[in-house]
Amino acid sequence: MKKLLTAVLVVAENSFRESVRNKFFTLFAVFAFTAIYASVLAGVMAVDQEARVLADFGLALIELTALAYALFNASSVLLKEAETKTIYLVFSRPVPRWAYLAGKLAGSLLTTVFMLAVMGLMHLALLKFRGFGIPQGYAWALAGSFMKLAVITSFALFVSLFSTSAVSTLVISGVLWTTGHFAAETRFLAEKAAGLAAVALKAAIWLIPNFQLFNARDAAGAACALPAAAFLSVTVWVAGAYFAALGLLERKEF
Amino acid sequence: MPRFILYAAAALFAWTSGAAVSYGSYRSPFPPPSEIHVPVQGAAGDMFALAFGARRLFADVWFIRLMQYFGAPEFEKAEEAAADEERAEHEHHHHHHSLEGGKYPEFQARALHILEIDPGFTMAALYGAGSLAFNLGKPREAQAVLEYALKYSPKNWKYLNMLAALGYYKNAEAPQAVADALAPILKDPDCPVMLKQQAAFLNKRIGNYAAAAAIYADIAATSRDTAYVRNAERELSRLAEKAR
Repeated sequence: MKKLLTAVLVVAENSFRESVRNKFFTLFAVFAFTAIYASVLAGVMAVDQEARVLADFGLALIELTALAYALFNASSVLLKEAETKTIYLVFSRPVPRWAYLAGKLAGSLLTTVFMLAVMGLMHLALLKFRGFGIPQGYAWALAGSFMKLAVITSFALFVSLFSTSAVSTLVISGVLWTTGHFAAETRFLAEKAAGLAAVALKAAIWLIPNFQLFNARDAAGAACALPAAAFLSVTVWVAGAYFAALGLLERKEF
Repeated sequence: MPRFILYAAAALFAWTSGAAVSYGSYRSPFPPPSEIHVPVQGAAGDMFALAFGARRLFADVWFIRLMQYFGAPEFEKAEEAAADEERAEHEHHHHHHSLEGGKYPEFQARALHILEIDPGFTMAALYGAGSLAFNLGKPREAQAVLEYALKYSPKNWKYLNMLAALGYYKNAEAPQAVADALAPILKDPDCPVMLKQQAAFLNKRIGNYAAAAAIYADIAATSRDTAYVRNAERELSRLAEKAR
């Protein structure tokens, strides 16, 4: 068992290092430039609401930057390993497929945590530079963003195993991201609809993860603390996507 | 049973369990889609706000647009007009101020739209209601904005105080009552500088110069809006001259 856990950790570490080496610097530079540019604009336009605008803009930008990278990474990581034949090397050793997949997923999630932490620190530094303190519920907002990204990353890994290209994985995952944020509205429409539309909407409610549950960014004040249900939901949704991906990976021949 | 089926069943079970947990515990604090009225500029921004879970950010954008729509404050003109209006009211027994009545026809719809996107944006509600009542002379529209805000934050004392101030204002009761109702809100971080300005002006008008000076000093020290800061500094020096 210890050997298997070591295998998971080695794959995760390798996946994380590869991500850090490749594209991080460019993304951080883009984030920093956009955040500083926006802060100058916000200062001029929002006047007395500058702190709120800067906080909201920064948190949204952090999430979108991390989402772009997480989706790009998750949709291409397995495809790339298959194309470069690296995956053959891994499976020629005593590494079971579940451990390989768990390692890849853990590596991607670790990358997401690292991105959120670095961008969060850059954002807080910018806020301090403009004379503002840490916004209320900031850590909850970042934790909520991580939970959303964990669900979408695991889902994108699953989709990448049956989709024909990285682009189609990105599109399918993007659709899930947006519909996940519409979950409360879908529920509202399901309650109002009748007939076939109601059936379709009710089925969607069961299959689409409710990203609003994690959306502490949009909640005000003390309401932004994430409930216990959020922690439970993220665990089972990530596990569900992992099992689905494992089912497909087991059937693949390398 | 093939392992693939087992994995698929486990995935489906986990996925639906997540949905069950999520929907059992989540009640949306936001207005339903039927309450979101499509603004004149189109619904694209609202779609992004909902699709990316960025209601606060897009409410900020709508708030900036509202301030741009309303334009820069013109203190001298507004205060002179208010004083003239008040004199006229006393002479003709009219009840409502109307500094710029009939102007800014979209103001209320725009203020309400911010709350439709983010009902927790207290400052926007106070700014919208305050501008409608005290600057545009539309206290009924201001009341509607506050009532909508109260629907999603029924215990928000700032809205209740503001409603009380509006009540006194509409009934043309003593300006002192309006100033007293506004006083607790002025110390709150959510208080828009426009409302502070209005309270300072009211206090100045009723001869409560110490209170007016304290509010102007607060504006000068805390606001990032240079127009308000310059006006507050000007008023402070005028009040200092009067005190001599």
